[in-house]
Amino acid sequence: MSENTLSDAIRELAFQMEEKEKRASELIIANKELVFQNEEKEKRASELIIANKELVFQNEEKEKRASELIIANKELIFQNEEKEKRASELIIANKELIFQSEEKEKRAAELIIVNKELESFTYISSHDLQEPLRKIQTFATRLIADESQNLSDKGKEYVLRMEDASNRMQSLITDLLAYSRTVTSERKFETTDLHIIIEAVKDDFKELIAMKYANIEAGEMCDAHIIPFQFRQLMHNLIGNALKFAHPDTPPHIIVKSRNVKGSDVEGQKFLSEKEYCHITVSDNGIGFEPQYKDYIFELFKRLHDQEKIAGTGIGLTIVKKIVENHNGTITAAGELNKGACFDIYIPAN
Amino acid sequence: MDLRKGKNIFLAEDDADDRMFFEDALKQVAITTHLTLANDGLELMSNLETVTEPPPPDVIFLDLNMPRKNGFQCLEEIRNTHKLKDIPVVIFSTTDNEDAVNRTYQQGANHYICKPRSFELLVEAIETVLTLEMWQKPQPPKEKFVLAFT
Repeated sequence: MSENTLSDAIRELAFQMEEKEKRASELIIANKELVFQNEEKEKRASELIIANKELVFQNEEKEKRASELIIANKELIFQNEEKEKRASELIIANKELIFQSEEKEKRAAELIIVNKELESFTYISSHDLQEPLRKIQTFATRLIADESQNLSDKGKEYVLRMEDASNRMQSLITDLLAYSRTVTSERKFETTDLHIIIEAVKDDFKELIAMKYANIEAGEMCDAHIIPFQFRQLMHNLIGNALKFAHPDTPPHIIVKSRNVKGSDVEGQKFLSEKEYCHITVSDNGIGFEPQYKDYIFELFKRLHDQEKIAGTGIGLTIVKKIVENHNGTITAAGELNKGACFDIYIPAN
Repeated sequence: MDLRKGKNIFLAEDDADDRMFFEDALKQVAITTHLTLANDGLELMSNLETVTEPPPPDVIFLDLNMPRKNGFQCLEEIRNTHKLKDIPVVIFSTTDNEDAVNRTYQQGANHYICKPRSFELLVEAIETVLTLEMWQKPQPPKEKFVLAFT
């Protein structure tokens, strides 16, 4: 081997050595890098574990929610079905209501017709029934005035009884007419001074009042919200009754009073406690009645006395009650035999 | 002035009984009268048409509810006819209905008798009406009033 070759070999070796050292240091660096990367990966791995656990938890939660939602959904479907059922029920109910409404309209229209018929009945009673009766009455007066000398005592008696009966029929027609008027006539309320009504009724009875020495006294009085012509009929009937059923030995003393009271101050009535009522009383010192008849006397054609003793049609107090009802009020009667009667009327003050 | 001087009277009344009552009652009134009867309004108007040469009617009595021509129609025609318009008209009717009464006064009726239920009262009503001072000079009454005997 030559010297050159040797030195070349030595250099070559030195060079390889250097190279190896370089590589070794590079490897150290690379190794450190790897260690670092490894640590990083472990860090990430543990982070992923945590994240994974979180995801598992969230997943479970979501499943829970999902099953809850399924239940809720089923509930909604059920409710929806129920609502549809209710809706169809409501449609049926609605149809029923429409039908009922139509029926009511029909009934209302029928009532209007019936009312008109009643009005024409009123006219028929006032005119057509009265006409023949008036003739009978007039002929009876003529028989007595012009033909008495041709009649036996019995015949005269018959004519008088006939006259009596036709007068009773006239009272009946007049009273029935008054009754049907309380049903059919227009109801126009006005604030009215009761004195005016009482004065008018006193005028109706002025002859009877003079004959019986009656005293009709208007006590404390307030204005009343009433249908004036109906209330006049009411007072006419009540005062007329008080005069008719007077004590034979005592002049009639009739007291009419009225004042406003609160519902809460009235006993024995179902009144609104804060509402104002007009309390009207008509009391007398006449023959009265037995307390057990206090409701009976208001019924149609119910009388307590013999027609021979005290004339009457049995309609008067029924009219009175009807008129009070037309005023949304109540009427009660109190009495004792031979100790007078008292009528209490309550009507709304406004 | 003689309130009881003879009267020329016209009556329109469709009811036979009421015509008889009226005629008989008139005979009992202490006034000489001449009565021309009509069975309804149409007959009355034709009577008035033909019999208005002197003496003209002193009073016309008019029922309200009559066939062919009722009392309201007659009254209207009388008041719209020149030669009849000043003749006093007395309504003689069963009805005491306030609206009917008012309507006759509005149409120019001078008096209203609601047919009574006794013959004496009818005589009294006719006599009262015939002897009223206002008939001496036909003129509308100052105050409307109704003779209602019921």
